[in-house]
Formats: sequence, structure tokens, C-alpha cells
Amino acid sequence: MRALLGALALLGALASAASADGELTMRGAYYKERATRVVQPMLDGKLTIGEHGTAEGHLLIDAITSASISAGAADTAFTERRYEAGGGYGHELPWGKLRGELRVSREPDYLSFFVGGGGELSLAEDNAVVALGAGYGHDDVSNAGARGPFTEKIEGNLQTLLVSASVSQVLSTHVLASVGYDLSHLRGFQQNPYRMVEIGASSFPEQHPDVRTRHALAATIKAYVEPARTTVIASYRLYFDSWGVVANTPELRAVRALGDAIELGARYRFHQQSAADFFERIYAAQERYLSDDEKLSRFTSHTAEAKVAVLGAALGLSGRWEEVRGELLVQYLHQNNRFGDAVSAQAALTIPFSDP
Amino acid sequence: MPSLVAPSSRARRLAVAVAASALALAAAGCVVVRPHQREHLARRAMVQDRDAGEVRFGQHQTGSREGADGGTGQPGGGCGCN
Repeated sequence: MRALLGALALLGALASAASADGELTMRGAYYKERATRVVQPMLDGKLTIGEHGTAEGHLLIDAITSASISAGAADTAFTERRYEAGGGYGHELPWGKLRGELRVSREPDYLSFFVGGGGELSLAEDNAVVALGAGYGHDDVSNAGARGPFTEKIEGNLQTLLVSASVSQVLSTHVLASVGYDLSHLRGFQQNPYRMVEIGASSFPEQHPDVRTRHALAATIKAYVEPARTTVIASYRLYFDSWGVVANTPELRAVRALGDAIELGARYRFHQQSAADFFERIYAAQERYLSDDEKLSRFTSHTAEAKVAVLGAALGLSGRWEEVRGELLVQYLHQNNRFGDAVSAQAALTIPFSDP
Repeated sequence: MPSLVAPSSRARRLAVAVAASALALAAAGCVVVRPHQREHLARRAMVQDRDAGEVRFGQHQTGSREGADGGTGQPGGGCGCN
């Protein structure tokens, strides 16, 4: 938390020195299910640079407390902190936009780097946008969190290549549609270094394939329903991968404006996935691949969400404070798997600043 | 447990979905909405109704609890929650 407050002060000082437009968002997120609790304070900054550039950055701390083996440690409750920092820069050009980003995440047993970039091409008087992106990630994994004098040392690394493409098209003055495709190829250590699999009366370390190729196709349509002052957003995602997981995820959101300073949002998401080819609840004999990862099981989940966003103007604030935005979001998740049902909440405050 | 859909069937489903989506968007490609007609398209909820932090935590949440994240143009993972 002290690091976040320090970063907040630094970003504020930089923004003042730069005399630029931008905004700072302080957000706190909370997730709780039967055996796991996550608290994540985060800070996001956005800064306009010149007439065509936008820089963004974020810092966050992810504090997880869990008694679940699926979350990282075996049988004993533990608390672990993950620190993440990321930044990016986007530049508008006459024909579209270019962007690049960098992200680093560190926790006692996991270190992750990601670098990515992409471009957008605007066509038909900005009525269509074609976007392409690519990225590379490198993760170092170990069982450092449980290592003792008699614990075998486990270390590995994982390389990830990501390619994405999307097309957005204006369909009318009130409707916008987009489709996107992500392809990611993972090679390396992909099992949980702590998780054990039961075969008969014995336990064996989890063993996943080294290679995984993942495909995700998403389609979204957004429509503004003028009489109701409501934006309706419907999306569908089809996912499949080389491990045999196939998933269908439809989602519906509605955002209703109450005047100019209050927005109410509602969201429902359904997720259904099949199990990985090698996933078994109980293994009868030693097999090449073993997994007790609940994420690779067959299950469905339902997410219901309510959200309210309020501008300072709605509270009678004026001047620079009338654009300050507060958000509160609450979710309930019904998951028919070992994770069980969960609640999630976020609260955020966004403070814009501008060149006086 | 076998997967619900065979690999060749998956590829066919993807190809059909991509073709249908591209066709639908191409069919609408002749529509040109001028900048002065974009009042509603420029609304916050139409452009991006969720902040970066909200989206990032949502991806972290689903990536930690589902074996099927992706489709956002952003990497999953980045944490030891596999």
C-alpha cells in the first residue's frame, strides 16, 4: 500500500510537471470464495503527450489468502503478495494508431514479463477499424513458496506467443459491431509446482503437456437504445485449445444513463467449458499427463453484476471536481465446481487533471 | 474424458464463425456514418464502458478460475495461479 501511495504521489508530481491532460484512477478489488480471498489495490494513470500521444501505466498489489491447493500451496493456509507494474504508449497517426506495452509481475514463486505491440488501421472514414497485435511473454516458475530442507526443488519457464486480430464496423448511427480472434501458443512449464494428483493411495506431482495452442474468437455488438437512454452490449466468445478444452461464453450488458452524471449497469455472463482431454477426478493408474486443476474440469458458471458510476456533478461538486468519477461494482458468481460460489466487488475513484 | 468436439470439427466451427462474421461486417461495409452523426457512437458506454483496471481484474479473475481465457487481445497469466 505504501508503494502505491508513493507511486500516486510520483504520478501526481509528473503530471503537474508535464502540465498535461490525463487522469488517475484508484481502484480496490475484492474476491471471496469458499477457500480463497483476493484483495487487490491498484493505481492506473493516463497522460496525454503532445497532440497525438497517450501514455498509460499501472501498479497493483495482489494479496491472496487461500487454503486451497489449487491456488498454490498444499493443504496449509497461506498469504502471498504479487506485485505488478505495466505501461504503454499509443500514438495516433493520420491512418490509425500504433501502440506498445510492457508488463512485469513478480511474486515469491513466479516472475512474468510481457511485451506487446500493435496497430489499428482506420478505413471508410473511420467507419471500420482493422487492428492487429502481437506479444511475447516469458515466465519463470518455481515451488519456492513451499521449499524446505526435504522438499525437492522444482523450476521451469514458460514462453507465450500471442497474435490477435480484430475488425470493428459502424453499422448505423446507433450500432457498432466487432469480431476478434486471438491465437496464443504456450511452450514450457504449465502445471502447478505444488499440486499433487492422487493415484490410488499415492500422490504424484501434476504433469501437464509442455505445449498448448489456444484459439479464441469473440464477437460483440453494441447498440444505443435512444428512448431508454440505454446502451446494450451483447457478446459471444468461442474458445478451444489443443488440450481439448472447448468453451462457450455469451454475455449481455446494459448501461443506462440517469441524466448526465449517473450511470447504472447490469451484466450477466454464462460460461460453459469441457474438460481437458487428460483431466480426471481420480486416476486409476499412472498416465503421461496428470492434472487436478479444477480450471481444466468440465463446469459451468453464471456471473451477475450490478454497477453504479457517479460523476462529481451529481453530488453538487463544481470546477475540476465535477468530472471526478466514482464507481461501485458488485458481482455474484455461481460456479458448479470445487471452487464454489463467489462474490466480487470493486470500488474506484477517477480524478481527471488538465493543463490549466 | 474425451473433448466435446473433435479437432476437425472445431476448426470447421471456427472457419464458419469467422466467415459468417466477416460476411456480416462486409455486408455492412457500405454504411458510412459521418462524424457529425456519431453523437451516440461516441458515448462512453459505446466506446469503452469499463476502465482498464476493471477489465484487468476481470481477466485475472476469469484466468484464475477458467481454463479458457483469451479473446481480448491481451495475454492471460502473468501470475502463479495456474
